[in-house]
Amino acid sequence: MNFKYIILFAAVALLAVLPWLVSDSLLNAAILMLIAALFAMAFGLLCGQAGMLSFGHAAYFGVGAFASVHAMNAFDGEGLLPTPLLPLVGAATGLVSGILAGYFSTKRTGVYFSMITLALAELLHALAPHLKHVFGGEAGISSFRMPAWGIEFGSFTDVYYLTLVWTLLSIGLLYLFSKTPLGRLALGLRENAHRLRFLGYNTHALSTLIFAVSAMFAGLAGALQSLNIEASNYVVLESQISTAVVLNSFIGGVRVFLGPAIGAAVMTFFGYISSDLTRVWLLYQGIIFVLVMMFLPRGIVGEIAERIKNPSCDGLAQTAITMAQRIASLAIAAFGAVFVIEFLQRVLSTEYRAVARDGHWPDITLFTYDWSPVSAVPWGLGIGVFALGIRLAIIVNRRAAARQEAQA
Amino acid sequence: MTDPILTLQNVHKSFGEAKIIQGVTLDVTAGERHAVIGPNGAGKSTLFHLCSGQFAPTKGEILLNGKNIAGLKPAEVNKRGLARSFQITNIFPGVSVFENLRLAVMRKHNLQYVFWRSAAGVRRVNDEVDDLLTKIRLTDRAQSLASELSYSEQRSLEIGMTLASDPQVILLDEPMAGMSHEETDYTAGLIREITQGRTLLIVEHDMSVVFSLAHRISVLVYGEIIATGTPEEIRGNARVKEAYLGEEAA
Repeated sequence: MNFKYIILFAAVALLAVLPWLVSDSLLNAAILMLIAALFAMAFGLLCGQAGMLSFGHAAYFGVGAFASVHAMNAFDGEGLLPTPLLPLVGAATGLVSGILAGYFSTKRTGVYFSMITLALAELLHALAPHLKHVFGGEAGISSFRMPAWGIEFGSFTDVYYLTLVWTLLSIGLLYLFSKTPLGRLALGLRENAHRLRFLGYNTHALSTLIFAVSAMFAGLAGALQSLNIEASNYVVLESQISTAVVLNSFIGGVRVFLGPAIGAAVMTFFGYISSDLTRVWLLYQGIIFVLVMMFLPRGIVGEIAERIKNPSCDGLAQTAITMAQRIASLAIAAFGAVFVIEFLQRVLSTEYRAVARDGHWPDITLFTYDWSPVSAVPWGLGIGVFALGIRLAIIVNRRAAARQEAQA
Repeated sequence: MTDPILTLQNVHKSFGEAKIIQGVTLDVTAGERHAVIGPNGAGKSTLFHLCSGQFAPTKGEILLNGKNIAGLKPAEVNKRGLARSFQITNIFPGVSVFENLRLAVMRKHNLQYVFWRSAAGVRRVNDEVDDLLTKIRLTDRAQSLASELSYSEQRSLEIGMTLASDPQVILLDEPMAGMSHEETDYTAGLIREITQGRTLLIVEHDMSVVFSLAHRISVLVYGEIIATGTPEEIRGNARVKEAYLGEEAA
């Protein structure tokens, strides 16, 4: 479809000129988004295409990160491994550890597979602080990006381009991989591994290989992170990293090719913005995940792809209007919900409890106004706006359903 | 009589105390369509599982082209020229019909661990998939998701996948289960077509299909074969009538 290529070309062009468009701080956020996107794409190959839900992908991201820090220190960014090629070390380490871990974990399928990946990652995480030479203990290992190939690698822009080139190259390779016989067999593993066996395939070897390829790209993403922050610490092995990649990929849509990347980019950006604005941004992240899973189980990109494939009988204009109405009513509901959550968070915070004593409840500033927590006004306002938004969303949905019924 | 291509010699299978197959001896001749019939729970599906490598027999030998295949893994058995379909439709539901057949065909061309070339670029595979699509009459459904096919179309796809490895021996486990009369006729015609030049071992409950399709029939009752012969011989066999057909005649 030509339309697809135009969007793709425009997105790549935008990424290419981004350093001229945004501030250094946002460029740094863009680097984090690219790394998270590549990591999610690696996870998406395993989970979305081959149907193996890994709960321990931080392990392969982490070993890639540490391996490249060691390589940075050993080669000083010169000789055989100049700075731009360091991600290859992360990829190689990810591949090797993926073959080992994949061999054992893919002996089982389903929940048991997930549990083994979780256990292996937790094992590594528990072991890491004790292996000071390898993981640098609590402090971690730091390093410096050295100039190479006439590039300083001192500015955000240089690091951005390094990350961008590797991320786009890797996603391109993952796309080509999905078209190869091995990539097609990943779908067979997901859909019906039992049948594959009866067709004469060695499903254990296939699963191990696909696991290893996924771990390889996870390791590459880890290396890019090390290059970016010029250090690595054993917190990259934490289960939170493993969880985040699962959530990001599902929010984007784990079964559509670019779904995980877009989900990870969006959620990383959301984290970057919201962690400055509110202390409960993880709660919002969790709510977004639950809502996406409840109402858009294919993920954001998956749902859009489905709409394009099977357009509703309403026609483009009506669909756009319905979409806009839905978004507007959900925005109203979201404002109400955010208002209540933020107000509640302030009332329950330790700072407020320190000043609120002896039945004296001072006003709380929220959205530039002062509100009294003992008055019904702020609570009523928040809940009322939320209810109004939900009510509007229901009306919009009912109308859309009625139109469809009338046409059917 | 020509040489047997698939031979079972005194095959036993027990699950703990339960003896499901108790000394089955059977010769399937090359090129014939051989049906296995018997009441529910007689062990027909277990017999198929034993031949195709899902289970290993407790005792006895299974020879394919004179070589023992008892206890080999399914993938090994398949490589040696025996492919099977399943009683429950066993396809790749979430991908296209074309992809289902391509996954099945690729194995024959040793395209398993290949990650340096495009699957769509292998012409022989594409040609064979197109050929199979024609044979199973699903050419115009090639791009549909397998899960969107009708039941009988899914069964056709299942048979197409069984054919993909170009096996000498095909095992079909109740291919007509749950089909209407028209669908059954259609599938019987399909089976007749695709088993030209191959050997077929089929389990089926629909007696009109079995008696019109099979060259020879074996009757399995409580894990033992009580009779083998042409449809006429089986019809006239007193023990068979008593054990099995009697219920239907009554």
